[in-house]
Amino acid sequence: MDKEILEHGFSWNRRRFLSTMSLGIGSVALGSLLMPNLFKNGGIEEEGFTPGIPHFAPKAKRVIYLFQNGAPSQQELFDYKPKLREMTGQEIPPSVRGNQRLTGMTANQSSFPLVGSFVDFKQYGNSRAWVSDLMPYTAKIVDELCIVRSMYTEAINHDPALTFLQTGSQQGNRPSMGAWLSYGLGNENKNLPAFTVLLSRGIGNGQGVYSKLWSNGFLDSVHQGVQFSKGEDPVLYLKDPDGMSRKDRREMLDNLSELNELSYKEFGDPEIATRIKQYEMAYRMQTAVPEVMDLSKEPDDIVKLYGPDCLVPGTYAANCLLARKLSENGVRFVQLYHQGWDQHGNLPFEIAKQAKDVDQASAALVIDLKQRGLLDETLVIWGGEFGRTSYTQGRLTEDNYGRDHHPRCFTVWMAGGGIKPGMVYGETDELGYNIARDPVHVHDFQATVLNQLGLDHEKLIFKHLGRRYRLTDVSGKVIKDLIA
Amino acid sequence: MNTKLRAFAEQVLVVLNVFILFLLIFLHKLTVPYWLQPAGRMHPLVLHFPIVLLMLAIGMEVYRIASRNTNLTSFYKNFSGGLLLAGILFTGITVIMGLFLSREEGYGGDTLEWHKWTGAAVFFIASVIYWVRNKLWYSVTASWFFAVLMMLTLIVTGHYGATLTHGEDFIMQPIYANIKKPSVPIEQAIVYEHVVQPILENKCVSCHNPNKLKGELALTDSIALAKGGKTGKLFVPGNPDISLLLERVHLPLEEEKHMPPEGKPQLTREEIMLLTLWIRGDAKFSQKVIDIAEGDSLRILATAILKPEDKEEKYDFSAADEATVAKLNNDYRTIAPVAKGSPALDVSIYNRDLYSTKQLDELDAIKKQVVSVSLNKLPVKDEDLKSVSRFENLRRLDLNFTDVTEKGLDALTSLKHLHTLSLSGTKLSFAGLKDKIANLKSLKTLSVWNTGLTPEDVAQLKNAYKGISFIEGFKDDGKDTLKLNPPQVKNDEMVFASAIPVQLFHPVRGVQIRFTLDGTEPDSIHSPVFDNTTIIDKKTTVKAKAFKDGWYSSDAVTFDFLKNSFVPDSVVLLQPLNSVHQAEGAKTFFNKKLGAIGANNPAWANFWAGVRKNDMELVAMFNQPVTISSYGLHYMLETTTGIYPPGLVEVWGGENENRVKLLTTIKPVMPEPGGKPTLETLEASFKPQSVSYLKIIVKPHVEKDRRFLVLVDEMFLN
Repeated sequence: MDKEILEHGFSWNRRRFLSTMSLGIGSVALGSLLMPNLFKNGGIEEEGFTPGIPHFAPKAKRVIYLFQNGAPSQQELFDYKPKLREMTGQEIPPSVRGNQRLTGMTANQSSFPLVGSFVDFKQYGNSRAWVSDLMPYTAKIVDELCIVRSMYTEAINHDPALTFLQTGSQQGNRPSMGAWLSYGLGNENKNLPAFTVLLSRGIGNGQGVYSKLWSNGFLDSVHQGVQFSKGEDPVLYLKDPDGMSRKDRREMLDNLSELNELSYKEFGDPEIATRIKQYEMAYRMQTAVPEVMDLSKEPDDIVKLYGPDCLVPGTYAANCLLARKLSENGVRFVQLYHQGWDQHGNLPFEIAKQAKDVDQASAALVIDLKQRGLLDETLVIWGGEFGRTSYTQGRLTEDNYGRDHHPRCFTVWMAGGGIKPGMVYGETDELGYNIARDPVHVHDFQATVLNQLGLDHEKLIFKHLGRRYRLTDVSGKVIKDLIA
Repeated sequence: MNTKLRAFAEQVLVVLNVFILFLLIFLHKLTVPYWLQPAGRMHPLVLHFPIVLLMLAIGMEVYRIASRNTNLTSFYKNFSGGLLLAGILFTGITVIMGLFLSREEGYGGDTLEWHKWTGAAVFFIASVIYWVRNKLWYSVTASWFFAVLMMLTLIVTGHYGATLTHGEDFIMQPIYANIKKPSVPIEQAIVYEHVVQPILENKCVSCHNPNKLKGELALTDSIALAKGGKTGKLFVPGNPDISLLLERVHLPLEEEKHMPPEGKPQLTREEIMLLTLWIRGDAKFSQKVIDIAEGDSLRILATAILKPEDKEEKYDFSAADEATVAKLNNDYRTIAPVAKGSPALDVSIYNRDLYSTKQLDELDAIKKQVVSVSLNKLPVKDEDLKSVSRFENLRRLDLNFTDVTEKGLDALTSLKHLHTLSLSGTKLSFAGLKDKIANLKSLKTLSVWNTGLTPEDVAQLKNAYKGISFIEGFKDDGKDTLKLNPPQVKNDEMVFASAIPVQLFHPVRGVQIRFTLDGTEPDSIHSPVFDNTTIIDKKTTVKAKAFKDGWYSSDAVTFDFLKNSFVPDSVVLLQPLNSVHQAEGAKTFFNKKLGAIGANNPAWANFWAGVRKNDMELVAMFNQPVTISSYGLHYMLETTTGIYPPGLVEVWGGENENRVKLLTTIKPVMPEPGGKPTLETLEASFKPQSVSYLKIIVKPHVEKDRRFLVLVDEMFLN
């Protein structure tokens, strides 16, 4: 009997075949109707995205990101909490703290007394924004700024938080914001890199910055951030060695590129093509970079505007001035890191000095861009990687206290680039611990930044090892209220 | 239908008729008690039933008469009659409820009157129909007449009723909103009339108008606004924080008095901001937008609302050929589309040395598509602007720090769309500029920072051209005196062998540096001026300060120049250094590299060699004997973290390792705990001795059982 069943199964006449096949094709057709990309061969990232051109008309063309590394304390700078002063010394109510995880540094603390700010705040400008006495120059320009007080993140320590803010994920190895922008928009001035990084540090307790924060991740290495350092050689290994003339260099590059071309023809490795391009750009950078980095010709007005430190290479003020010059010359993304904001202890002394380092120069940068007519196409961002706690870390004394890391709320300001000026967005609760209104997640922030540059954060995608990646990972929405 | 029930119902109908008539005539003399008010409020709920019943019944009735259908049974006649009766009864109840509701506050005006009387008319007409429907004279014409009359009255009643609830134009409103109203030119726009009132009309007037006067407040015009309502005046000019209007708007959504009420479209953040700013600006009713100060947020917001076309510019030209664009791109000229799929092109040119007018002329092929050109810092002259004028669709032009003058603006007058022009850093003369701006008809923004125009010139320009935003930028008015930063030192190394020139400098031009060599504080009167001729040949502490007219003098800065005459040929450590304070091992002590202190210069990342658990013991050897008479070491002092001076230092020297004698012992005095961290030097002199072998032992300070860290970065043999 089995044999018959088997044979019956095999007997397949033409009529049966044709009718079954038509059903099959029909069901596949139905599938392609329901899943439009069924037959596309991984074409999603090509759909509507051409690297180098924005998706829609952008407001901003360039970004200057003034990153305050270490996490500046918002209660001492932009978030006015008089209630904290009233309640200084009292325990933070458990209802407020909820189940926020503590860092290893305060986990063993037996009490968490609240502490109010040691500085006073005043209101400024038409937006009536509260700014502390530590930032008098920034206070003068609040009508150009959009202060977002309700940023939040999940990371609680510097490395993951920095990585999260720069690359969209707490684990590393992904491209940073500047690399994504370089990939998405290309290079405006081909004589300078699209993404540059400038570092400086204050006297406060500092945390390191790592080159993975400006890495290109899995994108083409041409999108990597180029670190410009102080000193005679702003870009490492750029200068020709003594005795080598420019003509020699040109000849050498020509020969090298011939060899590389041969190699490319044989192996087809795209990195080779990138390498050729990068050598050429380095050659052009040899003349362009020293010209841009030359601070000696700046007029007195500019020196007065930024403060005299702007002529001392390696300071934050000098980096701000350089950022303006680089941006003016078409560099897409200039990122500054100012270290030293990690005030776990000794906060009153350290933060005053940190604020003094950055206050005048940051405000000067915004004013300088505006007077050159560049502010509406340059997005300036100022902020850290997370906030600080409303309770003290360590001992609370009459005039000294510290604050620990706090991911639930922190403050960032933005100016120019199509962002609404003269606005304060978002609010934290009375104790400055939780967000009361309009939370802005790091991904939302990144999505908004990309939006201002004409990129849809959900379409700026790169497929790597089988998965499609984007800067905002899997979440994030553009905050329309911030856009003018 | 049960005849008894029917008869009763008909009697109720008579009662209703009478009662309603009574109410219609006398209601204005009566008050509705609070416990009956809910009944009144059920009017919008109940009215739906009679509408349907009446329509259905009247339809059936008309059919019955007009169709002359003889097959209709008596059941049909009774049924349609019963339906009609039920409808009329419900109508009556509805009318009564409506009349109660009309007595509540907030209802008044023409619309209400119409609605009341037509609604009552529906009831009466329907009653009449009921009574005459079986009469002999009730012909087809009659039945049609009554039916149409009732339907029309019903529709009119319904229309007025809806107007009361939802406001006028409720149905068509989305269409009306989208029809582009002829936009008011910004020069003539009045803040109240064209910016504030539209918000109120959109979100508030449907409940706050003469016909529906919720809270006895109308928001239809400036008089009504100024008058206020039941709770009081709407705002205190100049003080949004105590204004009732904003109080209601800012209440939490769940609160009853929050306005607009929950369920109705809420005010957007922008609209709330506008109302706040308008009230703060004293709630003027006839102020023009352009009369407000330029940086004022109210003007910015109002401008943004009145000119929404800035959002996405539509271009009416076709795209250029992609291959042409690609060909015209080179290393110094970038041409890129503004956005994907956009025909507009943006041009940026870089590199001063390679610039020529040809760079602009070569773009002839794409002259129609160029909307923005950046010629920042290039040697562009007025003549070159003729080439620029060929870009007929140009919107933005950046001429910062070029060589153009106001005469070049003549060439740009043909550009009909040019709205943003940046002339910062060019040489402009006010006299010529003033008139030429008038020829740039579409200009909206002009940057004139650093052009030689005085603030008065700019103020005059602003006055003359109210629709243009002038950006003047920062000008040093000499009022804000800044403090200089301290002088710096250019020397590569601070440790020298025999003599070293002191190379102080200051990055700011025109600064005078005053200095001392004896450790005293420099000042601007007694201390010598630094002129790069100072050479020192012994260990010196240099203090310096910077001075310049118009600036506060800097803080004093200290530079220690340390002398080390003899560098050993080899140094060997006999005991290990701390695992985190390795520095360069034995080479640390004579490598001329000094460490620094501070949280950002942690000792383990610096040039500090350290010991704690054992002594620091090293041997220095010279190939040729040297005569030394002093020994020094440079150490860090940071008592708060347990870094102390050494407890004891012994220096042994001699010919070789078997023939050494103790040259000197140093027992430093321990400092008081606390205090700022510093870098210190220990020194001791002794009788000159010729040595080729030195053994130096540095013992950490021990207190009770605790050993303190000692950090050394350099040693000196003189």
